[in-house]
Amino acid sequence: EAQRKSLDEILVSVELKNLKIEEAFSRIEEITEFDFAYKRSDFDTRKRISLAVQNQPMTELLLGIARETGLQFKRIDETINVSRAFEQTNLVSELLAVVATASEVEVTGRVTDNGGNGLPGVNVLIKGTSTGTVTDFDGNYKLLAEDNATLVFSFVGYKTAEVAIGGRTSISVTLDDDIAALEEIVVVGYGEQKKVSVTNAVAQVNGEELTKRPVSSIQQSLQGQAAGLTVLDQGGSPGRTATTMRVRGITTLGNKNDALVIVDGVEQQLTNINPGDIESVSILKDAASTAIYGSRAANGVILITTKRAKEGKVTVDYSTYYALQNSVNNPKMDMPSYMKLQQVAYENAGLVVPQKFTDQGIDEYLRGNKTDPEKFPHVNEWYKVMLYAAPQFNHNLAVSGGSETFKARMSMRYMKQNSILDVPIDYGSNLRDVRVNSDFKASENLTFSTDLNYRSNYSLAPVNEANVFDRFIHGSLFATPKYEDGTYGLSTQGNNPLMFAEQQGTSKLWNENIFGSAKAQWKIVDHLTFSSQLAMRIDNIRRKDFTNAFSNTDKNTNITRTVVNNSLTEIRDNSTEYTWNNLLLYDNAFGNHEVKALLGYSTIDNAKDSLRAYRERFYNNDIQSIGQGADDGTKTNYGVNSQFGLRSYFSRVNYSYNDRYLLEMNARYDGSSRFTGSNQYSFFPSFSGGWRISEEDFMQGIVPLDEFKLRASWGKTGNQTVGLYSYYQSLFASAYTFNGVSVIGFQPTTISNRDITWETTTQTDIGFDAQVFGGFTVALDYYFKRTEGILLNLPIPATIGLGAPPQNAGVVDNKGVELQLGYRNAPDKALRYNTTLNISANRNNVVSLSGTGPYITGSDINPLTIIDEGLPINSQWGYKTDGLFQTQEEVDSYPNIGPNRGPGDVKYVDINNDGLINASDRVVIGKSFPDFVFALNGNVSYKNFELNLLLQGASGVDTRLAGGIAENGNNEGFVPEIVSKGNYWTSENTDARFPRPYKRDLLNMYTSDRMIIDGSYLRLKNVQLLYNLPDMLVTKMRMTRANVYVSATNLFTISKLNQWGLDPEVGNGRATYYPQVSLWTLGANIQF
Amino acid sequence: CQKDLLETVPDDRLSAESFWKTERDAVLAVNAVYPNCLDAGDRLFMFDAFTDIGHTNSFFSANAQVEQNVFDASNSVIATLWTELYQGIASANFVLDNLDKIPTADQALINRVRGEAKALRAYQYIKLATRFGDVPLVTKVLSIDEGKALERTSIDTIWDFIDDELSEAADLLPVSYAPADLGRVTKGAAFALQARANLYAGRYQAAADAAEKVIDLGVYQIYPEYGTLFSYSAEGNSEVILDRQYVKSVLPNNIFGTMAPYGQLGRDGANTYVPTKALADMYTMANGKEIAEASSGFDATMPYDNRDPRLRFTLYVPGDIMPNGQVFNSLPNSGTADAVGGTFFATTTGFTLRKYVNSEDAANPTNNGINVILIRYAEVVLTYAEARIELGLIDETTVNAINEVRQRGDVNLPAIALGTSQTELRDIVRRERAVELAFEGLRLNDIRRWGIGEQVIPGAVGGIDYVEEGEVKTYVVPSFQKQFNPSRDYLWPIPYTERVLSPNLSQNPNW
Repeated sequence: EAQRKSLDEILVSVELKNLKIEEAFSRIEEITEFDFAYKRSDFDTRKRISLAVQNQPMTELLLGIARETGLQFKRIDETINVSRAFEQTNLVSELLAVVATASEVEVTGRVTDNGGNGLPGVNVLIKGTSTGTVTDFDGNYKLLAEDNATLVFSFVGYKTAEVAIGGRTSISVTLDDDIAALEEIVVVGYGEQKKVSVTNAVAQVNGEELTKRPVSSIQQSLQGQAAGLTVLDQGGSPGRTATTMRVRGITTLGNKNDALVIVDGVEQQLTNINPGDIESVSILKDAASTAIYGSRAANGVILITTKRAKEGKVTVDYSTYYALQNSVNNPKMDMPSYMKLQQVAYENAGLVVPQKFTDQGIDEYLRGNKTDPEKFPHVNEWYKVMLYAAPQFNHNLAVSGGSETFKARMSMRYMKQNSILDVPIDYGSNLRDVRVNSDFKASENLTFSTDLNYRSNYSLAPVNEANVFDRFIHGSLFATPKYEDGTYGLSTQGNNPLMFAEQQGTSKLWNENIFGSAKAQWKIVDHLTFSSQLAMRIDNIRRKDFTNAFSNTDKNTNITRTVVNNSLTEIRDNSTEYTWNNLLLYDNAFGNHEVKALLGYSTIDNAKDSLRAYRERFYNNDIQSIGQGADDGTKTNYGVNSQFGLRSYFSRVNYSYNDRYLLEMNARYDGSSRFTGSNQYSFFPSFSGGWRISEEDFMQGIVPLDEFKLRASWGKTGNQTVGLYSYYQSLFASAYTFNGVSVIGFQPTTISNRDITWETTTQTDIGFDAQVFGGFTVALDYYFKRTEGILLNLPIPATIGLGAPPQNAGVVDNKGVELQLGYRNAPDKALRYNTTLNISANRNNVVSLSGTGPYITGSDINPLTIIDEGLPINSQWGYKTDGLFQTQEEVDSYPNIGPNRGPGDVKYVDINNDGLINASDRVVIGKSFPDFVFALNGNVSYKNFELNLLLQGASGVDTRLAGGIAENGNNEGFVPEIVSKGNYWTSENTDARFPRPYKRDLLNMYTSDRMIIDGSYLRLKNVQLLYNLPDMLVTKMRMTRANVYVSATNLFTISKLNQWGLDPEVGNGRATYYPQVSLWTLGANIQF
Repeated sequence: CQKDLLETVPDDRLSAESFWKTERDAVLAVNAVYPNCLDAGDRLFMFDAFTDIGHTNSFFSANAQVEQNVFDASNSVIATLWTELYQGIASANFVLDNLDKIPTADQALINRVRGEAKALRAYQYIKLATRFGDVPLVTKVLSIDEGKALERTSIDTIWDFIDDELSEAADLLPVSYAPADLGRVTKGAAFALQARANLYAGRYQAAADAAEKVIDLGVYQIYPEYGTLFSYSAEGNSEVILDRQYVKSVLPNNIFGTMAPYGQLGRDGANTYVPTKALADMYTMANGKEIAEASSGFDATMPYDNRDPRLRFTLYVPGDIMPNGQVFNSLPNSGTADAVGGTFFATTTGFTLRKYVNSEDAANPTNNGINVILIRYAEVVLTYAEARIELGLIDETTVNAINEVRQRGDVNLPAIALGTSQTELRDIVRRERAVELAFEGLRLNDIRRWGIGEQVIPGAVGGIDYVEEGEVKTYVVPSFQKQFNPSRDYLWPIPYTERVLSPNLSQNPNW
């Protein structure tokens, strides 16, 4: 034993001829002193190998077997442990116990988990040395150590245990799960922190979660992933999707509530990032975490880190999916009940009922519709005729690897998404992107990295696409979609959405983004590092909207729709932004004190220019080059340029004592070119602290509390998104003509405001993070934020004759609670599951409008919203109602909103009792933003199967539909089944939900509580079933990992808007946009 | 490290500080006043749709509420009109405040620019006074605080101001311009505005005097053809005193696209405003007799035949030929796109406007170059006549003035005889103004100053007369009732938000 030889020194001769692997091991055991320890599931038991060695080192023999079988060997004394090889290096290794000295004892024992199961592969080290061993498959170990030494047991996913030998020869330990360790590091502004020492409200989502749902944008995949982040997905045609993202409510009035998105240290657009390239996403929510981004951080910050290569063998990841997209919006119209409703509507209005809608006319029409649908077209079946299950497919390839000195990861994506419009034109988008992230290590102290990202998205949509979807609902009734001869039917208004989709022309949109970054990191001395990053971002938009000339006559009715002139509008928008970040980092620990500090300087320099041109009367619709249109007075062009700059100084200090008491301070001093004089710079400080109560001695053993940290923070952030040059009194050009010749005129149009400065948001946050009973995690936050000096174009008297400048006025409060609950069972079980529930509640309140307001937008027949002091931003505004009038006496004895009121009409409430129903009777009738948003994420895995579920929803939000779909057939709009099928008032149906239909009169449809629909919903946003291919098969195919999955998004939804056939995320309005889609997906991920 | 990173200076716009250096700047600044102050065609039509002679075709538009007089001080149409008027005033004030900064070499040019700005500003005040009564008098560029402190100035002071300013402008302005400047305000235009203002103010002597000055200039005359007066061939003729100028494909308007019959256009947005039965009935027979007169010869089965020719020069009535050669047939159940009661884009009265709807624009309906006449000699002549009638100065010049308009070449109605009573002449001149100037945006002011709102406005809106199954019927716009409250509706309200922002502004009665 004392002369134990290494594997290289042991020479063997053996011939293995067509033996199964187990037989081969037995054969070697026969001729050597070694025993093999293996799990049969690690290899293909039927596989046969042949190998012969003659007087060669044992190492060679094992290597030979390893190469044939994909296994690796680790010798520990006389045992050879066999396991599956994940890397091609180090296939054969050994660990030899040192020969016992006088004071050494042989210690044996077993390492188990909480469930008593032996843990294989646990490192057992003698503290203070590099000597040790590894447990075998049953968790047993054996080593020699000084009898007064301490053993350290460590294993990924478990808490490290230290045990003093104290003369014992048998020591068995149980290792506790360490769930925190699985997501130990959190990315924060300009750096990362251990999760346990974070004192701010930060939510982190790892990249894997994002790619589970095969959606076309990251915004969509972030939906439901983090408390405090509200993502509203409102559809949009491929390549032009519309999603809004809000972190903790909205802080300002207008449309400047988007979170700042920082990708690898540089502000970028979220849409430009390939979800497959994302390592992690951090959502910084409180001021303490965002203040380091100062003037741009008032609406939260989303930090994205992209994947980088790890040292070692080159890995290749390929993933792909094929999905079918189906419209979620599918309102239905019922023809017989609609025609009857029209008859009633004409009668109620005292009008002659058109022949078509008389009883006889309806009968004839319905019969005609069955026999000759071209002549008697269906009332409206555009949703059925024009939409189909459109394919979407995606390929993603990533290659990654490198050496200690050079590592690189390269990825490519191609995604094609077809439009759900079922027309012969290839509407949809084609997305390509490439990313290369490289890291160089010049020396121990100096590293460089360069990143490049190129993305190109080309999309083709109908020109004026809104018109196509508008005409699904409005003014397109009783039109044959297409006659057999290829011509189109037209409604009385001359519309046909199919004709518009096919003939109106196309909009081509190219979105190109180039991002490049170079970064150097220099470790000046121990604990002190300097880094500098220079990045450039170029965004180019090219767009060609070509409107066709065409003419179509409905052959049955002779109604004609003509577009006389074709025309082309061409747009070029170009934006270039340079970012320069410089950081000096200090990191040190003295005894129980740990200090980290950061000093930074950065600049952003942005220039934009845009150009647009128009010409008309091209030779035909195929000549689509701007130079080919009429070269006369109809051609126009237009352009603007702008620039802005941002210069910032910032710093952060973290201090922790004994890993128990945590403090952090941030400060940023920002200067912006949007302001002038002394308003150019502003200071944004923040403070936060944490107390890990669970580390205190008095907490030990009291409760099953593995981790409990109290956090509190306070800070200020800003919002600088005011129009450029607001402080600059400029003159604008206008045009007029004298005697046929155009002249230019100059005039001021807006008052300038030299005093303009930042909006400031002050936020306080209190919360805790806890982990109990091993697997449960809880995070709870309460926050209060107040935004002051909101940049408002406060109305000024019109008598001034100029537009209002933005002024710092207005105060808005947001307060809310965020709760995140998680549970994960022990990772070693065959059945593993984890689940996360997050709930966010936010209350928004306009505190001050500086004595102005209220600002009411909309009109009686459209959604009305109000911004007023004491109300949430954009509250729904309108009349209260008190049912429907049932008798003429009731009508006569009550104030009426207008003439010709009768039984069955809406009874609006005269709030101010002045005997009139008018604007002064309007009150708040609903909310535009939800009280709660919530999501439940669950993952279950059993053996090779994994199931992921995401339920997501919102409550306490209201929608006001408008236009045809809401107006009971007043004009020529879509009337949903829910209205026409017996749900409107007649003298026989007096407790009907909807008022009596009344032709050419909208008084019953004025914005009131009757028109408000509860927009709460709960939907199964995503379900995915994934199957990991068996290792055996994977190995055989020379892969390291492979899985296939099926998934479905928006599988079912519980919502009141289902009655209308509409998606709950539609929002107020006419519901006339490209619908949100659900996806059925088949996909695969493979790694080599 | 860029020193000027935060000192960005825009290169796509002009700074106010670097302006006002040469006379050229004065001309460039006054050029911008024109489009602000000269009403576009759709504005004129809209104003007539607020009276008995016109109708807003979309019953649900905000304009329809104003037409019916069912609105309050927060109405968006009123607020927009108010805002636009003061925008024009601000652009004129920007010129007048700064003209003296220019080191002058060409005083004549500076004087002319001053005259243009003053006349255009006065034009805005005429519109403000007739619509709102007492209004804030703003004569310089205001700061926000000055705007908030404004009070209303009495309408008499406003009329005085207008009169003085126009006298001053007339002194500064030339009688005519070189071709490149045709379309700028002339001396004649200043006098014509002065005549209009004084007529509206009830200052008849001043109105007659100013009108006489226009007549005495000797450069204006009645154009012989009413039928082509509003067409391209007559642009810039000697009846035109001031117009809003357009050039097809350069600075076009969309009159054809919004006013031509829907059946002609086959597109959304047609027939924004339509004429009414009240207007059609006002045209006399060709023999000069009113249709209600027993011996007029009016045949209800052919209601639009043998009438004052201006009827069919102004309106499309069923049976007229549209620019595309097809017959305009708006009869109910006619099955054409124009049938009343069909789609809501089609006319709701059965009439559509013909004035300014020119066949040259049919090929390109939204790109029209037709100039819109704002002041023409016929109005000045009628002003002269009306002022003298009111003054009791009824003589040959008075009657001849009316006849000059009635007997235009292609109109040629019988002359009004000398010796007609003042009351009769008053009725005649009022009817002449209504039919001669229909859809030129003047009717609302006339109704207000004559005090006839409650007589002519309330009630349902009448459309075409037609024969169905042997019976003469009148089409009536469904579910539409105009109201008129004489204690309120002779003035519009000061917009609600204006009174919030400028708390010293009082409100008109009963608003």
